[in-house]
Amino acid sequence: MSFEKNLLQMKKLIKKKPAKSESLAPFVIPEKPKYTKAWEESGLKVIENDFGIVFEKKIVYDRNYCHGNFKLKEVFDAFALWNSFQGVHPVSTDGKQVVFFDTETTGLKGTGTYIFLIGQLIWNKDHFEMTQHILADPSHEAAMLYESGLWKPGQTVITYNGKSFDWPQLQTRWTLNREHLPKLSDPIHIDLLHGSRRVWRNDLDQFKLTKIEEEKLGFKRVGDIPGHLAPIIYMDAVKSGNPSTLLKVLHHNEWDILSLLTLFIHTTKLILQEQYLDSSTSSTNIGKWFSDLKDFEKGQSVFEQIITQYGTAEAAMAFYYLGYEYKRIKQFDLAYESFEKSLGHVLDVWEIKVYEELAKIAEHAKKDFGLARLHVEKALELIQKTADLKPLQKDRRTHEFKKRLERIIRKQTISRASAGFDRK
Amino acid sequence: MRERIVHWHTIDEKQAFLSDFPEDLHPSIQQALKERGITQLYSHQRLAYDTARTGQSFTAITPTASGKSLCYHLPVLQSIVEDSSSRALYLFPTKALAQDQKSDLNLLIEQMNQDILSYTYDGDTSPAIRTKVRKAGHIVLTNPDMLHSGILPHHTKWVSLFENLKYIVVDELHTYKGVFGSHVAHVLRRLKRICQYYGSNPVFICTSATIANPQELAESLTNETHKLIDKNGAPSGKKNFIFYNPPIVHPTFGVRRSAILEVRDLAKRLYKEGIQTIVFAKSRVRVEMLVTYLKELSKKKINDESIRGYRGGYLPSERRQIEKGLRDGTIQTVVSTNALELGVDIGQLQACIMTGYPGNIASAWQQAGRAGRRQDEALIIYVAQSTALDQYIVNHPAFLLGQSPEEARIHPDNLVILMDHLKCASFELPFKTTEQYGEFEIQELLAYLEEEGILVRTSDKWHWMSDRFPAHEISLRSASQENVIIIDQTIPAATKVIGEMDRYSAMTLLHEEAIYLHQGIQFQVEKLDWEEKKAFVREVDVDYFTDANLAVELKVMSEDKERSYKNGAVFYGDVSILAMATIFKKIRFDTHDNIGSGPIQLPPEELHTSSSWLSFNRPPGWTDAMLTDAMTGAATSIASFIPLFVHCDRRDIHVVPQVKSIHAELPTFFVYDSYPGGIGISERVFDVWPELLGHVEQHVEACPCDQGCPACIGPQEAIVGMKDEVLKLLAYLQLESTGDPYVI
Repeated sequence: MSFEKNLLQMKKLIKKKPAKSESLAPFVIPEKPKYTKAWEESGLKVIENDFGIVFEKKIVYDRNYCHGNFKLKEVFDAFALWNSFQGVHPVSTDGKQVVFFDTETTGLKGTGTYIFLIGQLIWNKDHFEMTQHILADPSHEAAMLYESGLWKPGQTVITYNGKSFDWPQLQTRWTLNREHLPKLSDPIHIDLLHGSRRVWRNDLDQFKLTKIEEEKLGFKRVGDIPGHLAPIIYMDAVKSGNPSTLLKVLHHNEWDILSLLTLFIHTTKLILQEQYLDSSTSSTNIGKWFSDLKDFEKGQSVFEQIITQYGTAEAAMAFYYLGYEYKRIKQFDLAYESFEKSLGHVLDVWEIKVYEELAKIAEHAKKDFGLARLHVEKALELIQKTADLKPLQKDRRTHEFKKRLERIIRKQTISRASAGFDRK
Repeated sequence: MRERIVHWHTIDEKQAFLSDFPEDLHPSIQQALKERGITQLYSHQRLAYDTARTGQSFTAITPTASGKSLCYHLPVLQSIVEDSSSRALYLFPTKALAQDQKSDLNLLIEQMNQDILSYTYDGDTSPAIRTKVRKAGHIVLTNPDMLHSGILPHHTKWVSLFENLKYIVVDELHTYKGVFGSHVAHVLRRLKRICQYYGSNPVFICTSATIANPQELAESLTNETHKLIDKNGAPSGKKNFIFYNPPIVHPTFGVRRSAILEVRDLAKRLYKEGIQTIVFAKSRVRVEMLVTYLKELSKKKINDESIRGYRGGYLPSERRQIEKGLRDGTIQTVVSTNALELGVDIGQLQACIMTGYPGNIASAWQQAGRAGRRQDEALIIYVAQSTALDQYIVNHPAFLLGQSPEEARIHPDNLVILMDHLKCASFELPFKTTEQYGEFEIQELLAYLEEEGILVRTSDKWHWMSDRFPAHEISLRSASQENVIIIDQTIPAATKVIGEMDRYSAMTLLHEEAIYLHQGIQFQVEKLDWEEKKAFVREVDVDYFTDANLAVELKVMSEDKERSYKNGAVFYGDVSILAMATIFKKIRFDTHDNIGSGPIQLPPEELHTSSSWLSFNRPPGWTDAMLTDAMTGAATSIASFIPLFVHCDRRDIHVVPQVKSIHAELPTFFVYDSYPGGIGISERVFDVWPELLGHVEQHVEACPCDQGCPACIGPQEAIVGMKDEVLKLLAYLQLESTGDPYVI
């Protein structure tokens, strides 16, 4: 209530006059914030341009620098792999003008959310270079956006969740400064969150970057700040002028980007099946991904590789997907065989689908109605028994299979009758 | 029944006034109109078109079924045919109305055979088409809430709309009053600020039901000068307007038979005659009571849906189904709150019954407008309740039938509301240190927000510096964001949410043991979790309903204006109110006997608001007891008459009598606004005390009862009523001015 009391005190502050229109003023370079010196002393460099100032931090890493299980230079192997890859894939890049990119913001959405930190990692012949641009204060936004160089055409950006977060935020900020800045380019964008979700579905239950670092990249952060505190830390640094905690946010962002690079190396090697396999689950996901991208040949070869490498039980999902691959190219006998091999090793929901596919092939391709009937009956049995389906789903599936069963029985009768007729 | 008809008024048919199509009207639009059988425009549609084309914002007064949508469709469509980069934004008070209008608009566009894209943009719009709507939608139909939290804070995604916005259409202008209207006034100021940023300067087109001050309302809502178009060219059929007063059942106390029971009987007769009827009742509870009564008529039929209730708190799908039933005739009688007053498309019905006066003339005509098919005669029955205002109206039909509708007022100056939207506006675009916001000078207020740590000041701007998203914390519809969710736990394994209610109403309607009615089904509240804002209810079958009392404590915090009179003085200022639900009564259906009561255990709610009060010197020789009774009676009457002067709901204001006010130690009547910070009602009352008291005295005097009755000073408990004392007091209070007001 004290807020309301305050407001009542302030009532006298309300003054009114007819609305006036603001005229468009030419761009004036904003004043430097009072704390410019203090921030400089903490190790940040001041960059001045036509739009004001921006703070910058550069970090240089040797080619052999290790982050978790990876050396940074392995990224060149990854580019080489993509360069020899014949096909289309969302993670594919030719390695030219690639930027690993991540931002920190003051909120989650809307035009009142500022980007206060842009981190970018690139490389030269013999070293890697991280550049972080820090918003001096909101009036110096154009200076930071310009200095980031993200408007330059022809770049490829690699991000983690950048497609739905960082890039739209950048577009929003750009729109608000569009009268002064060069047009923001529309770069090739590889979002590794999407990639990770495809690769580790049913394997990881969380796709936070720190989780992936620990589980897959062999990196554990010590002394990191939780990401959700970043906005408050920045706003506090601007309000108080003291940058000490802000440096921890820079470190957080640095780790994010280094992990982004190693994640790119790791997923590339997994997707292109170089050297090693992570697990049958992720390999199956990768095969499925190729199939969904209509690269059926590659998909099939991935499934086949899993089957040679793992036992039947481990490769069951691969058999399942491979079944669909064969069915698609009308290799019904191979499809049947493949589906059959997955039986007994996959979840009930999939097993019901397998019976459905087996029944379809038996009915339509093999014209073996007895066999088709057998599979349908197995499916019906499983639907009753399983705990994986909800009552309504059970009813629906049962209904579908019963219709199929009726049709098969009808065909069976006709074929028996005609067979009998032939005999006569 | 005939003798209960106090007055029978017929309104003759009215001929149409027509004009030719404007010469420049695009052939495709002319073609589309001809396909609909329209070869000429009504005069007001033509004037609207011509005015819009000169770039002048305007407000058109448009009764039900006068073809109001063409007033805005024509100039908007014309501007898009001429230049396909043009954009228009349509605002409707609710999502449902926008969706309704979209089908009509799309049909028109189809008939034009042009590539014009119109979309609704609200919570139901699928994420898949949102980008398309933002980038390519020529006409975007939305509601103020969505504009407030879904569009303005993301304006950078709407660049093509804001750069090319030619028209902003505000439909149902008259609904933007009070708190909601004040909020929307700010949403529109924010919208204009964004338009200016992108370099557009749209024309406003408002359409409104009949109110006293449409132009003033439009101008204060949009902060823009408007031309008024009030000559309606549409024809109308003959209307029979019946003023019906329930019989007096207790002559001494002037007690009349309950209006609800009369309405039940009238609605039954119309139902049996097969006449499609809409019954308006003033509260959710009354809607449910009437539905319960009327369903008796159809209970022998299985799955009969011919009688339905309709009100806020029903789920949207349920409402859509009822609207459809009314259009296709499967529903014969609908009982509704004022929710169906607005332009929800339910077609035209044959008869309309109003249970009591809806509180203002504009609403009364909106409700009456629901009856009247093109060629048919329409029947409108106004059934008076026992309240003072209702009795006044039934005895003075000219009041309703004459041309004196109320003013609709908004109060964008409310500081709570202003600050809320200043935050939103700061979030949307940083304010310059020289900028003003709408008509407000705000630099000092921005400095306050900086102190609060929400803004940061740089050399020439105030920047939002918080991780919060202010629009989500501010609801346009109610004082408090938090609603109480109503959960049906009749079947423990399958609990479901059946409705919601604002916090203030919940104190008296959802307390534990309250009977809550939903679609005629009774539920008892078993548990009210005030912390979590959840009410758990279970279906019951009882023969009573519940009614709760609210106790109020009041303190004056500041006096801003004062005006002296002979025996007293009136003031305007800020007060602090502490409201607490105290007890509830169980009241039997039909007889309305009190059959039990119980306490309500809820924490008090505090409210800071504006108030106008009348303090007076104790009339010589009066005891405390006499004064208490007389003041209580007079307060009842004063409360009833305030809506006559200011377009507001009865529940927007409260009148509290104090024999010895804590503040001045004098007998005092307080009138205060029900919303934090006030919404301008008591400020208006400050100016009209003499007329208000004059009206009250006249009415009490003219009332036919002996001792005082619900129609004048409220029901009297003792055998000897206080009517004489109330009259003496009112006569004593007739305010003779002693000079000009002055501001302290």
